[in-house]
Amino acid sequence: MSADAVTTAQDLVVSGWAVSSPYGLGRDGFTTGLREGRRAVATLDSEQWPVPYDEAGLIPGFDIKAVLGRKGTRSMDRVTAIAATTVGMLLEEYGTGLAADPESTGLVLGTSGSVQSIMDFTRDALTGKAPYLVDPARFPNTVMNCPTGQSAIRHTLKGPNVTVSGGAATGLLALNYASRLLRGGHATTLLAGAAEEFSVQRARLEQVADHGGSAAEPLGEGAALFLLESGAAARDSGRTVLATVLGCRFRAFRSTGRASAVLKSCIDDVLAAAGRGPDDIALIAPGTPPGVFGKEEKVALDGFAAPRLAVRPLIGDTTAAGAAFQLAAVLAESAARPELADRLALVTAVDRDGTVGAALIRLG
Amino acid sequence: MTTQIADLSTERKAEIKEIVCDILELELDEVTDTSLFKEEHDADSLRTIEILASMERNFGLVLEQAELSRMVNLAGVYAVVAEAEGK
Repeated sequence: MSADAVTTAQDLVVSGWAVSSPYGLGRDGFTTGLREGRRAVATLDSEQWPVPYDEAGLIPGFDIKAVLGRKGTRSMDRVTAIAATTVGMLLEEYGTGLAADPESTGLVLGTSGSVQSIMDFTRDALTGKAPYLVDPARFPNTVMNCPTGQSAIRHTLKGPNVTVSGGAATGLLALNYASRLLRGGHATTLLAGAAEEFSVQRARLEQVADHGGSAAEPLGEGAALFLLESGAAARDSGRTVLATVLGCRFRAFRSTGRASAVLKSCIDDVLAAAGRGPDDIALIAPGTPPGVFGKEEKVALDGFAAPRLAVRPLIGDTTAAGAAFQLAAVLAESAARPELADRLALVTAVDRDGTVGAALIRLG
Repeated sequence: MTTQIADLSTERKAEIKEIVCDILELELDEVTDTSLFKEEHDADSLRTIEILASMERNFGLVLEQAELSRMVNLAGVYAVVAEAEGK
């Protein structure tokens, strides 16, 4: 452990996590489903979801008012409800003592907001009797920080409130942003992660988007959130350290053919900074995007022998939440296999718009 | 204020109350004609704009933003709608 001694004063740990996923609400279904390799993508009801897809990974039976109650949900959109629900689950299970200091507890959420809400509102303005005859209560849904802001208001998180958007790398970017906030002393505890919704408009856009030369894969939805704090703060609050964040690296590629090289340099950098090597990695959760992006990621990971945890084939393409689900899958696997304690896990992402990212964590 | 404006029908008042209670997420018996939206029912500025916009959309009216200052309770909303419909 000597290599880590220098980091202990400032070490950032994950001391809790919560998921809303196509396996249902909560960690148990997610963990069991992933470990069984059970596919959570199911046939879509084409009347409820008139989309160019036959199947999707929806949170089963997710009904906003049934989950969150009637109060404050009249104009709430799906991604906001998914985020608020997951924040609530995380706080309920791990939030002991956080309410006493709401100013020091914040939320860093990866999301690009709701394209459905944006398009609905715009359509109402264009098709109504007059442009201003829209439902003003739905306006807040059209800005991308709505899920983050509403979740914090609902759960009285008065610390930093940050929305991060970065395609497939979003979850890792949020983790990194939260790490910086904590290191800078801007908060004591942060909820960090990402959320995505399934919607008709998202499906129609994704259907015609660039998937690295491959056909569009089924979409998924949900949120994965992590409680992030210093090791000392976790111990003081009586929370168990589930993982230590050793670092994140991000780079951009100009041409797709360079993605593997830049991702490889992210991985090499983050390993070198932690004083570790490829053989220390016991688990890899890649983004497994389709087409050429997936091939590039695979090439970057070629020299690593550790087993792969593929989440996307089981729950669908959860876009903004994808990397957060990969990290959640690592924690699920780690919880089920205590022998992984002190070993390293690597989470990688390749986004079609040119961002790659890698996060290195120590388990247990 | 003049007295020539016709009072709203019971049905119209009921419709308005239904809309307002829906926006404020309150039961019908929680709101009286004079209970204040902001002070007594925790309505924020967005909720009051929602009430104004719903009146415009549901009843085909055009209301000035300035009317918001009078729409502090149901009685105020009734008066503003009655005036606009009387025009």
